[in-house]
Amino acid sequence: MGCIKQIITSLTIGLLSISMFTACTSDKKKFENSISIAYGSDVKALDPVFAEDYYASQVSSQIFETLYEYHYLKRPLVVQPLLAESMPKISEDGLTYTIKLKKGIFFQDNEAFKEGKGRELTAEDFIYSWKRLLDPANKSQGTWVFDGKVKGVSDWREKMRKGLADYDTPIEGLQATDKNTIQIKLEKPYHQLIYVLAMTYTAPTAKEVVDKYGEEIINHPVGTGPFILKDWIKSNKIVLVKNPNFRDMTYPTEKDEEDPESMLKDAGKKIPFVDKLVFNIITEDQTRWLNFMKGNLDILSIPKDNFDSSIANDQIVTDLADKGLELHVNTEPDLTYIAMNMKDPILGKNKKLRQAITLAYNTDAALKKFYNDRGIVAQSIIPPTIDGYDPSFKNPYKDFDVEKAKKLMVEAGYPNGKGLPEFEFATTSSSTAVQMAEFFKDQMSQIGINIKIVPNSWPQFTQKIHDAKAQIWGIAWVSDYPDAENFLQLLYGENVSPGPNGSNFVNAEYDKLYKQALLLPSGEKRTKLYHKMRDIASEELPMIPMIHRQGYYLTHGWIENFKRHITISDNFKYIRVNMDKKKKLKPEL
Amino acid sequence: MLKYAIRRILYMFPILLGITLVTFLLFNVAGGDPAVQMAGKYATEAEIEAIRKDLGTSGPLYVQFGNYIKQIVTFDFGRSWATKQEVTRMIFGEEFRTSPMLVSVSLTFPAFFITLVLAISIGLLLTFYRGGVLDKSIMVVCLGAISISSLVYILFLQYYLGYKLGLFPISGISYDWVDKWNYLALPIIIFVALSLGSNVLFFRTIFLDEVFQDYVRTARAKGLSNKVVMFRHVLRNALIPIITLVVIQIPFLITGTLLIESFFSLPGLGGLIYNAINNADFPVIKAMTFISAVLYMFFQLLSDILYAVVDPKVQLK
Repeated sequence: MGCIKQIITSLTIGLLSISMFTACTSDKKKFENSISIAYGSDVKALDPVFAEDYYASQVSSQIFETLYEYHYLKRPLVVQPLLAESMPKISEDGLTYTIKLKKGIFFQDNEAFKEGKGRELTAEDFIYSWKRLLDPANKSQGTWVFDGKVKGVSDWREKMRKGLADYDTPIEGLQATDKNTIQIKLEKPYHQLIYVLAMTYTAPTAKEVVDKYGEEIINHPVGTGPFILKDWIKSNKIVLVKNPNFRDMTYPTEKDEEDPESMLKDAGKKIPFVDKLVFNIITEDQTRWLNFMKGNLDILSIPKDNFDSSIANDQIVTDLADKGLELHVNTEPDLTYIAMNMKDPILGKNKKLRQAITLAYNTDAALKKFYNDRGIVAQSIIPPTIDGYDPSFKNPYKDFDVEKAKKLMVEAGYPNGKGLPEFEFATTSSSTAVQMAEFFKDQMSQIGINIKIVPNSWPQFTQKIHDAKAQIWGIAWVSDYPDAENFLQLLYGENVSPGPNGSNFVNAEYDKLYKQALLLPSGEKRTKLYHKMRDIASEELPMIPMIHRQGYYLTHGWIENFKRHITISDNFKYIRVNMDKKKKLKPEL
Repeated sequence: MLKYAIRRILYMFPILLGITLVTFLLFNVAGGDPAVQMAGKYATEAEIEAIRKDLGTSGPLYVQFGNYIKQIVTFDFGRSWATKQEVTRMIFGEEFRTSPMLVSVSLTFPAFFITLVLAISIGLLLTFYRGGVLDKSIMVVCLGAISISSLVYILFLQYYLGYKLGLFPISGISYDWVDKWNYLALPIIIFVALSLGSNVLFFRTIFLDEVFQDYVRTARAKGLSNKVVMFRHVLRNALIPIITLVVIQIPFLITGTLLIESFFSLPGLGGLIYNAINNADFPVIKAMTFISAVLYMFFQLLSDILYAVVDPKVQLK
């Protein structure tokens, strides 16, 4: 008995004393001038070529820079030069872009360079990096940014596949005309080019670095950006530190009308403000929430289960406000939707049936049930904050109306679902996805449509859509750039499976308008075409537009200059940590 | 015994072949096409086919299986399809200090050892006082402890000990050899809390089986004290089931514990396996299936050998 007691006592004392000892040592870390955030899943490769998902792209864009970026504060988004000296010079036919680089931009120091000192960035670095992006051997998902749009790219890729070309083989449309000038020649007008030149995919990497690290380049990111990779422990955390040689770059001097004056407090001051960025991988909501509430994380998207206890009437609750927390709400340029496969002999051929399905689906209820009301009901395929969005547009089939849906079922030839086979709703196997599918099933039962839910692993799910074998499914699209074209292409006839048009919607009028719009720059004429396409999609309904999600972010009182837009991923260089406030507020948490 | 061990090791090969074949077939039936995943939304069929060729998934199944066997023999599983990282490094880490396997083992081994010491001690104690108030009340507590979902322990203890009382970090890991235990202490406590109940009941039953044996009666008749009977005779005779439990558990301890790792953001093997399955990351699945199978068979053999060591009645032929 005594022996057991001794064991228990010594174990407890042992564990507690280790904990106390190390708690004291980690106290020093408490007040660093750093920003710590959490990601729900692991970051893969840190290489612009593989900037495929949001996390990889966000971390990479603190290290790498692109020719252009978005103004941090202005909304709607405005493109501005980053590595480029100015906006591109575009030829009269719109087919040639000439871009001058800023001088005196240096890569971060790395052993790959002579004497470990980062060398100056040149136009050739861009051409080399874009060839890496387009090289079929690299299997990048970002080849679409140039392939089929820039002269000679498809041809070069084909030759590379056959071993008939290498990196020395020039691409007609991607040339460095001198040390500081890039020339891009297009096959046809491509007004979205300026946006893709702001995407991480197109950021430059130095050839010496790729040569030194080979396939391991994914773990050795060396860019020109404000932060350098210091430590990366897979599935645990990524630590970036301030690039000591970062050029003089300053905080914006103009803001959006809706921003408070305090957003310009640092106008004209040198950025970045913080010494360190820590990206923690924390998969569980409770763990993220508790770490945030303890001050271990500085910024957090409110987890679903903590929403009701932290937000009331769209305001942060008093207890949290008293701790200095601040709420930031922004509508994301995204769309969740329920797609229907137009290749299906019944769904694809019967517009009235699709309209009835849309009318019988209560999106408002879904928004409350699954998103804590964090979002707005989507009326069309075009989301807010994007060129082409019209807040006054009302989709005639988006008002939840079961009676009207039942009438349409009669007109469709399936009164109360009679004669209809059971439809399969493909979903991933996560509990929320299955609950959403159950909700859809319940909604459809109101008009006599039977739904069978088929859960899949993510690979099986995407495979079904790719093979055009899914009948009905729910999915989302987040904008790559602020142009409605990025969403309208989801229904373009040439993009059918395996392309992004998983609904396999083909409509001659829609396709004609899409092609016309591609040739036009941003402006009233193009917006009119976008609206015509939106109207066709809203009548034909190959997909039910569901929700444009809203981000609800909490920041601690010591975080300043925070403003979020999902398309702007290099935002950490603008954020400041108020150390006085941190020292005052954090110990009280 | 050596002959026995060699024969058992030789048996492992056909078993391993069977396991690899089943894994391979299962993946091919249910895994989805990795090339579609990797190619992205805008890829053409030709591009996807090129990726298939590159991955080696476009050839006949027997060629693909042959490649798998080659990977096992060379212990080179290539790069992960999901993360593009080298598979062996994903499992064993860039360096030993940060190895996911070490993270898992640092959590599970001490936790399992503590559980074992506590469970055996409490089990002996309950056997000693069998039928009494202490026995009955601890039995009730153990049954109650088993009936509560493991999520409740994790959520509750993380909230109170980690967040509310601030005794331990809420989550994370340090790779400093000392600081590390600060982060592992709470997960270890939870692991012990989760497994103690069932282990106490298990050992109590084992010891109770023993105390009614003739040799115990003889020992008592000889006038030995209860303490000596329990520790010198009962415990030693109960070693076989103890060895079975301990040795068979080891491979599972090495491959980590998903739930605790996930809630405490511990980058161990549990999460690695989970993500690999979720992403149909076949290179990682292949490597982990192989490693788990070898570990399981090795420790099975070890337990058989240990039987013979602790019990002279057991002969290995």
